[in-house]
Amino acid sequence: MMNPFVFHSPTRIIFGEYAASSVVDAVREVGGTKVFFVTDDFLLKSKILEPVLASLAELGAGCTIVFAEVPPDSEIKTVNNAAKIAVDAGCDCVVAVGGGSVLDTAKVANICISMGGHLMEYQGLNNLADRLKPLIAIPTTAGTGSEVSMVAMVKDSVESKKLLFGSRFLAPDVAILDPTLIVSLPPRLTAATGMDAVTHAIESYSSVISSSSFTEALCLQALRFLFDNLERATVDGTDIEARSATLIASTMAGVAFTNSGVGIIHALSHAVGARHNTHHGATNSIFLPYGMDFNKDVAAPRYADMARFLKLDDSGNDEKAAQALIDAVKQLAQRLNLPHRLRDLGVSDFENEQLKELAELAATDASIMFNPREVTNDDLIDIFKRAY
Amino acid sequence: MAAYKNTEELQQVMSELWDKIKADTAMSAELLKAQLVVRFDYKEPKGSITIDSSDGQEIKVYPGECDIKPLVEMSMSADIAHEFWLGKLSVPMAILTGKMIAKGPVNQALALLPAIKPAFAIYPQVYETSSARSSTPV
Repeated sequence: MMNPFVFHSPTRIIFGEYAASSVVDAVREVGGTKVFFVTDDFLLKSKILEPVLASLAELGAGCTIVFAEVPPDSEIKTVNNAAKIAVDAGCDCVVAVGGGSVLDTAKVANICISMGGHLMEYQGLNNLADRLKPLIAIPTTAGTGSEVSMVAMVKDSVESKKLLFGSRFLAPDVAILDPTLIVSLPPRLTAATGMDAVTHAIESYSSVISSSSFTEALCLQALRFLFDNLERATVDGTDIEARSATLIASTMAGVAFTNSGVGIIHALSHAVGARHNTHHGATNSIFLPYGMDFNKDVAAPRYADMARFLKLDDSGNDEKAAQALIDAVKQLAQRLNLPHRLRDLGVSDFENEQLKELAELAATDASIMFNPREVTNDDLIDIFKRAY
Repeated sequence: MAAYKNTEELQQVMSELWDKIKADTAMSAELLKAQLVVRFDYKEPKGSITIDSSDGQEIKVYPGECDIKPLVEMSMSADIAHEFWLGKLSVPMAILTGKMIAKGPVNQALALLPAIKPAFAIYPQVYETSSARSSTPV
């Protein structure tokens, strides 16, 4: 018997080389007249945004308010500042160009811009009662999938934890996938963000209670694109075909995971990221084989499906095929020269109390609800130690 | 058929249930450790109950309207609440489908789940024997 499911994908996706250079068309289609443009300082100072800003200039002088103060991890005070500026300027549309932190900042700021109040009033899941102001998301990493996801995370630096916002109204109205914008993404970031996308696809596919034929199809194709192209894109950033494939894959995996949830790997990564400021994709890459190993007794048929689709194994034996996928994931991370231990990300050695705190954080992360196998705090501590 | 006919039935069953949870050593220990204020808001019929374990010493149960500001608010229909307490609800699916709304730090709300799971065994009898309720088989 098939599980009941809901599949929701409200974002209009536009793909193409130089597609971002016509962003003003998307703004007009959603009825925008004054844009709040969210990005980060690095991107603003680079030449990457020139065609995007040139397109928005067609709206008229003073119709694009630029906010480039987004830090590497989206922060409460950044979101509040952004919302205030946008509201004071009377913006009616948000355009966000950047990585996950930029897109998440824009999404959460859009809540406050549209609904008023403080962002903490909206923390949680399914709290939004209505559509927000139109949001156009243009990712410059491949990636978090934030350009299509119905969630956003903002860091509370004071409490060292990540705040979760989830609602179908958070998904951007339009996602513009322009591979020319990610050509100059450095190899290390290409690799790390690509492994984030790999993790999304694997965890989404393995969410036995909430995945569907829709999400599974997206995951499989995303994985094929990533396994075939992530290394190519990392070695040669100008390989536009590889960049295109990884960008599309990341968005596909984003649509999938936002409909099915993720699992233990994201729970572990969120905990470490919150406490130790590690890069989300790189942290996922480290935890991925450990999380898969933990799940494999329960998730072997799922891992086997993916392994067979990727032609990693033809033995007909689920356990063997599952192991082939775990090995392939490890080998991919190695070929990408990504760190395979938490200490290599600058995480200091864990004391027992820290391990307990991390385990508590991970055990209560919303992601863990979707894990195919039940997890105890001791299981989490064991993985933290092994991944260290 | 709706699990609850009116607010009075709903409030009484939930109050009795939480009184039993309070009286259970293991469950109350976990709730006191959590030290939080959680409100459950229901619709169809309307109702609410606030559980305050914030001082870590005593669990206070406030049925109905209450001035205490919750850290976490969980909203759902009474039928969803009924399914949940029967242990028949997939919480992840309820969240994905929008049937459960969680306001506040979701992680703290989720931390409660394993703590209150033993109450699934208590609820059917509370529901059946509640004096405010007409008989509806579980």
